[in-house]
Amino acid sequence: MVRITFILAAWAFIVAAVLARSSYIEARLLRADPDSIPGDAMLSGFGRERGAVLFEGHCAICHGDAGRGDPRRGIPDLTDDDWLYGSGSVSSIEQIIKYGIRSYHPRGWNIASMPAYATVQASARDGRIPSLSPGNIRDLAEFLVREQGLHADDAAAARGAALFSGAAGCYDCHAPDAKGDSAIGAPNLTDRITLYGDGSRESMAMSIAYGRHGMCPAWVRRLAPAGIREAAIYVYSLSHTAGAE
Amino acid sequence: MTASVPPVNSRRSFVLMGCGALAGLIMAGYSLFTARGTSTLAVPPEDVALVNQQPISRSDYLLQLQTLYGVDLAHATAAQRRKVLDDMIREELFVQRGKELDVASSDPDVRAAMVGSVELEIAADALTSQPSEAQLHAYYEAHRPRYASEGIVTLRDHVFAAGESGAGSPSVKAIDEEFYFAAKIHMGESLFDAARKLPDGGVSDPIVRPDGIHVLHMIKNEKPVAFDFAAARDRVLSDYRNEAIGHLRTGDEAFLRKRANVLIADDVL
Repeated sequence: MVRITFILAAWAFIVAAVLARSSYIEARLLRADPDSIPGDAMLSGFGRERGAVLFEGHCAICHGDAGRGDPRRGIPDLTDDDWLYGSGSVSSIEQIIKYGIRSYHPRGWNIASMPAYATVQASARDGRIPSLSPGNIRDLAEFLVREQGLHADDAAAARGAALFSGAAGCYDCHAPDAKGDSAIGAPNLTDRITLYGDGSRESMAMSIAYGRHGMCPAWVRRLAPAGIREAAIYVYSLSHTAGAE
Repeated sequence: MTASVPPVNSRRSFVLMGCGALAGLIMAGYSLFTARGTSTLAVPPEDVALVNQQPISRSDYLLQLQTLYGVDLAHATAAQRRKVLDDMIREELFVQRGKELDVASSDPDVRAAMVGSVELEIAADALTSQPSEAQLHAYYEAHRPRYASEGIVTLRDHVFAAGESGAGSPSVKAIDEEFYFAAKIHMGESLFDAARKLPDGGVSDPIVRPDGIHVLHMIKNEKPVAFDFAAARDRVLSDYRNEAIGHLRTGDEAFLRKRANVLIADDVL
């Protein structure tokens, strides 16, 4: 009887110790400056392990188990170092998970959507953005092809450049040099990383013609604060494999 | 036969009982001061402050620090940290005072913000649940006509002045490679309706309009092409979600109306 009591007490002590340790590390994780966590092996390992479970349960349905995304669906690859929104730091990833992108949350990233230039009202938000003709759209795609360093029709690309920095207003989001602006989620159009499609003229023309407005939900009231941070640490680790090991 | 009964070790019993009692007290105390919904003396690790038990989120604090001063916590000065925290505490105090004063009953901006927030809460359910590919396929099949490219026309509109016998030369309006919606705006609805039915190279019957008699010559008519599911998926998902949000909002509104006690004056309806 005494032996059983001791065994039970020992088990209870071990369970309590494990829970207390977990609770202690979770509290440290939450109090830590998020951007310093990757430098702390214990915290980042703890966060990564628990974040992986959350990622699988909540994020993998879109981003895939390995976080590689899907360009056919406009799902970004989380394993590269190209960040559409923010800087790719743990804190900026955490903000995205918390408040989302076009999630309807007032603190989410809701600043801009890619206009649909082949529609009567190119942008629901900004009436000054004009609709374009099929020729205009082809010229813009040709300009982007040239900006990516590929062979393009010079005359069409020149017309596209004029549209880009003029009437079409593309420069306003994508910057005059077309390198994008991660403060509003406008992608760099001069590299060959494409969020939608295969980067061909046709897929670029589709994006210009019919617009894009992908979304990521806000998890702020769906996940606990610790869960959001753990998921952010895991997502960060996907593109920083050297530091994660 | 006699069984040897071990002597009772009362000291050990007291020690075990004491340990159990101490563990119970620690657990109860921990729960008491950290459980949600109870008054607590400790600031939870995910927050930077509690104002009348209302938390100020640590990540919001860090974001505010970054937004105002462009620094992270490690590089922020004590004055910067204090300023941001003071601002956030002030905001929370004023929000709480606003609730006490019931400002929502008189301030249209607060009312609009509250309506927006509740709508957001309702929408969040639809946004955080990802529909399956089968559900999206079914939605796409049910709404196929929505998912098509915009048609493109190139045509010439020959306009004969009213009363002309046909001997005079007509004026010619050119529509060069325009989307249907643009051609419709430029030509007017009735002429466009006649034009969109013409095949490549087709010529319309004379169409009498107040400004003269129009004869349309279609050079090229690229009719709208239905997008396959892969091409339309982005828009299908967006439409599916918007519809789900609409359903949820309608359902929630019905529920709120059902449980509300609404009295309407006799003379308003």
